[in-house]
Amino acid sequence: MRATRRLTVAAIAATTALTLSACLASPEGNDQGGGSAGPDDPIVIGVSLPLTGDFAEPGKGVQRGYEAWAAYVNENGGLLGRQVELIIVDDQSNADRVASDYERLINQDGVDLVFGPFSTRLVVPAAQVAQDYGFLFVEPAGAAAEVFEQGFDNLFYAAPAIADDHYDHLADHILALPEDERPKTMAVASMDDPFAQGTAYGLRDTLADAGVEVVEDEVYPPNTTDFSGIAAKITDSDADLLIVGSQYQDGVNLVVALQQQGYQPDMAAISGAPTNAEFPAAIGDKTEGILAPTGYTPTATYPSNEEFVEAYTAEHGTPPAEDEANAWTTGQVVAAAVEAVGCADPSPECQQQLVDWLHENEVETVVGTLSWDAQGRPQSAHLIQQYVDGEIKIVLPEDVKEADLIHPKPEW
Amino acid sequence: MTGALFAQSLVLGILLGGLYALLAAGLTLYFGVMRVVMIAHSAFLILAAYLAWFFHERSGLDPLLSLVITVPLFFVVGYGMQRFLVSRLRPISLTTMSVLLTFAVALTIEGLLGFVWTGTQRRVQLEYSGTSIEVFGVSIAVVKLIAFALAAVSLGALYVILRKTSFGRALRATTQHPEAARLVGIDTDRVAGLGFGLGLATAAIGGTALSLDYTIYPSLHWHWIGPLMAIIVVGGLGSIPGAAIAAMLLGVAASLLQVPLGTTWAQTVFYLALFVTLMIRPQGFFGGRLAQRF
Repeated sequence: MRATRRLTVAAIAATTALTLSACLASPEGNDQGGGSAGPDDPIVIGVSLPLTGDFAEPGKGVQRGYEAWAAYVNENGGLLGRQVELIIVDDQSNADRVASDYERLINQDGVDLVFGPFSTRLVVPAAQVAQDYGFLFVEPAGAAAEVFEQGFDNLFYAAPAIADDHYDHLADHILALPEDERPKTMAVASMDDPFAQGTAYGLRDTLADAGVEVVEDEVYPPNTTDFSGIAAKITDSDADLLIVGSQYQDGVNLVVALQQQGYQPDMAAISGAPTNAEFPAAIGDKTEGILAPTGYTPTATYPSNEEFVEAYTAEHGTPPAEDEANAWTTGQVVAAAVEAVGCADPSPECQQQLVDWLHENEVETVVGTLSWDAQGRPQSAHLIQQYVDGEIKIVLPEDVKEADLIHPKPEW
Repeated sequence: MTGALFAQSLVLGILLGGLYALLAAGLTLYFGVMRVVMIAHSAFLILAAYLAWFFHERSGLDPLLSLVITVPLFFVVGYGMQRFLVSRLRPISLTTMSVLLTFAVALTIEGLLGFVWTGTQRRVQLEYSGTSIEVFGVSIAVVKLIAFALAAVSLGALYVILRKTSFGRALRATTQHPEAARLVGIDTDRVAGLGFGLGLATAAIGGTALSLDYTIYPSLHWHWIGPLMAIIVVGGLGSIPGAAIAAMLLGVAASLLQVPLGTTWAQTVFYLALFVTLMIRPQGFFGGRLAQRF
């Protein structure tokens, strides 16, 4: 019942936020009104983020990413030769509030551009407002399928892939293996969670279509703590390939339970847990060969990523994480369209040109080259990382790999 | 279901049942001795697991050694909790009010754990975490075996204390008839405090056993209290052997049912057993009347 705790936290946060917003009479940036008049005025970008409430942690990560991007752009000559200015307001993780925030940013503050908020629940209402006003809407976090099923034609998700496509590089790699090395059977276990399942089932379904047999398919509720029963079934199936869709503790407990029962797959693809910094500490020296998809890693060698990591680390002292990276990516995507089209103003003509340009072009970003389908789904896949010599390294795709993929996996 | 999978699941069920038995024994003891519903039992369990983890982190020694500290500590805390908190409740509404009181204690412990060690999930990483012994094709994880042995020894010790010592006799007398116990000269307040301490000491042992094999986080105790409550009702409130038998049966049932039903439905076995018990034998299956317990 972690929900209980979250509720408590949310209640306290909400109370605090209410008190705060009552004290701060006027929202940030109200004096900005008017929008873009001349070529020397800054380009004003409006954002509403969950800085308090349920999504406060990732919301602040996105804020750091946006601010770092704006600072970087301004140091390097700005956008179209104009400085960039952010107006960031707090939507308190509230879906009603986020819509009115964007209404106000567009109507009252007269922003030139908008960036998306964090998370599906807030992205959908915000995107609706942007759509109504004909604004381009690039968003850093809203990967759930429903985001792309609302009929938006102005929306673009600034990350490599939606959940179902996270494993695409690994699926391609497996299917390219010689017949005798390719896994013939697979065991799947996933938390009952749309994101974990989306990732795991993307790989499962691709391989099942190619003839790999599913010998075990388990779904467990998020509060599961004892994984020995699931491990017993997977061990009994003796599948060649193990696919796990996890968050964190479930992935760790399942791996330990499998080790206890002596299950040794040729390949173990586990989303969620392994990319967590605590994972090797929890599993010990038995991580070798575990594969995991990741949306972002500071070590990726895409050209702009090196600049990003350097600029971000110089300012914050620590390398960026995924939320910061997706925010930065959002900035890059919008900037690419603005530079190409040559306009940045709230007029429907300019916004439509930006939207059209993104539908037709690719953008180089810190998470690789991005392009989108008509509904705004990114068309790439996540990087695949593997524990090699005790460290998690990129092994797929080939052009950015840090180490060779180990197959079959060493015993754990 | 293959034979190997059946055997493996059976063994896992017995190992899990052993741990449940120890944890349920403490819970049923509180109720037997003073009609207290101790919601915070599993919160103390997680607290003990955290202390074991912290001890291991700081000293590098085996977390089992933390028992030397936590068992006496929990005994004293339990005694104090009974004397200074639980005994202040009005006898007439003791059982219902104790739910509220111990619920508050559980929330306080959870909050403090989160405050001190954050919500990050912790795990004790040991040399033997992933190792197992193979017996007739069944893998028995060393950590689970240790937990089971701890549970068995503690349950045995608890039984001996209650049956063979004069304190045990006083405790049982207090359970059966407090007024009569006072008439023959038993200081029932003190006995109740010691009984509470004894119950909490079992939480220290159970928590340490738990820390060997589980990832722990502050709110984990909510996952344990439900099945444990169901177990003590099925076993007969206040009956330690009843709790142990019910724990073992339900642990094995959950483990075996997982194979055909999957994890989600296997968890419901505890609650189904609870409903069935309340419908056809509300006093519990193994306890008989409260006065004849132990």
